Amino acid sequence: MTQSRPQPRAPVHGRSPGETEARIARGARVRGRITGHGDLVIEGQVEGDINVRGDVTIAEGATVHSPSVGANAVTIAGTLEGNVAATGAVRLAPGARVRGDLQGTAVAIDDGARFAGRLDCEFDLPPELGGTSQGETRGRAPARR
Amino acid sequence: MASNVTIIGKTTRVRGRVHGPGDLEVQGFVDGEIVVTGDVTVALHGMVGAGIRGRRVVVRGAVKGDLVGDEAVLLEDGARVVGDVHAPRVAIGPGALVRGYVETGEGGAAPARTARVQPAVRPAVAPAAVSHTPERAPAVVASKPAAAKAVEPPARAAPAAASNSGPRRPPPLVVPVLKGAKGQIAKKRER
Amino acid sequence: MASTIIGAGITIEGEISTDEDVVVAGTVRGKLTAKEAVTIEHGATVEADVQGGSLVVGGSLTGNVTAVERVDLQSGSRVIGNLKAARVTIADGAQFKGNVDMDV
Repeated sequence: MTQSRPQPRAPVHGRSPGETEARIARGARVRGRITGHGDLVIEGQVEGDINVRGDVTIAEGATVHSPSVGANAVTIAGTLEGNVAATGAVRLAPGARVRGDLQGTAVAIDDGARFAGRLDCEFDLPPELGGTSQGETRGRAPARR
Repeated sequence: MASNVTIIGKTTRVRGRVHGPGDLEVQGFVDGEIVVTGDVTVALHGMVGAGIRGRRVVVRGAVKGDLVGDEAVLLEDGARVVGDVHAPRVAIGPGALVRGYVETGEGGAAPARTARVQPAVRPAVAPAAVSHTPERAPAVVASKPAAAKAVEPPARAAPAAASNSGPRRPPPLVVPVLKGAKGQIAKKRER
Repeated sequence: MASTIIGAGITIEGEISTDEDVVVAGTVRGKLTAKEAVTIEHGATVEADVQGGSLVVGGSLTGNVTAVERVDLQSGSRVIGNLKAARVTIADGAQFKGNVDMDV
C-alpha cells in the first residue's frame, strides 16, 4: 500500500498468510492518501483519499474522513464522513455512522445504521412510473463542512 | 369485516390521494399521495407514483416519491425507489435499489402531523430537515446519540423542521394513537 | 379473485378502477369502477359514480350507479342517485332518492 506517510504494517492477527491486506490498527492514525491493490482494513483513524482495488472495511470504532473512498466492496461498521464509489457492494453494519454519498452495485443499510447522504443505484422504474428517469434531480445532500 | 386494513388489490388502480388511520397494503397501483397513520406496505408488484407517509413504511415494489416513516422505512429485496427517504430508522436490504437522499435518525424524522392530512406540512419536511443536518453533523457522527435514540420508543418526531430551533432538541413527545384525536393533535404539533 | 378493501377510516379521493371485487368500509370520493362485485358496507361513505358488475349498498352512497347485473340497497343504506341495472332491490329500511332504470 502506498501512503504519503509511511506506516509500518500493523501486526496481522489470525489472518491466513498470503492475503494481501493492509490494516490500520486501532491506535494508528493516517493522514494522507491511501492507494493500492489489496484489501484495506481500517481500525484506526484515516484522513484522506482512499483508492484501492480490493475491499475496504471500516471497522467498528474506526473513523474515516475522506473526500472519496474508492474500492471494490466497502463494508462500514464505524464512522465515515465522505463519499463512497464502489465497484462492488456497499454495506453499512448496524453500528455504522455515515455521512456522504454512496455508489455501488448494491447498497445495503442495516437497521440501526445512521446515514445521511445520497444513494445512486442504476435501475429503471416500471413504465407506469415513468421508466427511465435520467437526469432527475431528487433529493439534496446537506451542506458539507 | 374490513377493520382498519386497506388493501389495494393487484388489478386495482387508484388515481388520487389515500389518507387516514389504519394500515395499507398496495398490491396494485396508487398514483397519488399516501398519508396514513398506520403501516404501509408496497408489495412486490405494487407501485406508488407519489410520496408515502406512514408509521412503518415497507417497500418491496416500486415507488416514485419520497418515503417518510414516523418510525421506520424498510426497503426490501425487489424494492425500486426513486425519491428521498426519511425516518428515525432506515434499513435497506441487499437487492433494494434506491436513487435519492436518505437520512436516518432525528434529522430523518418528520414533523408531527394531524390525523387529517395537511398537505402543507409535507413539503416542509425535506428542506427544513436538510437545513438541520449541517449543525447536527458533528453531533451525529462524533458523539453517541445512539444511546439517546435507543431510549425513544416509536416517538412521533418533534416538529423540528417547523420550529427550526437550535441544534439538539429534547426527545419528541410520544403522541398516542391519533384516532379521533384530530383537534388535540393540531395543538400538540406546536412545540 | 382477491378483493380490494378500503378499510374503515381510510379516505380515497380520486378514481378507483379494478378488475376485482371491491369492499368499501371507509370513504371514497370521486369515481369507482369495478368489473366484479362492489360492496359498500354499513358505515362507509361513497360520494362517487359507481360502476360494477353488481352492487350491494349497506352504507351511504351519493352518486349514480351502473351495474351490469344487479343493485341491492340494504336496510340502513342511504342512497342518493340514479340506479341503472338489470335487477334492483330496495330493502325495507333503505333510504333512496333517485331514478331507477331497469331497461338495460
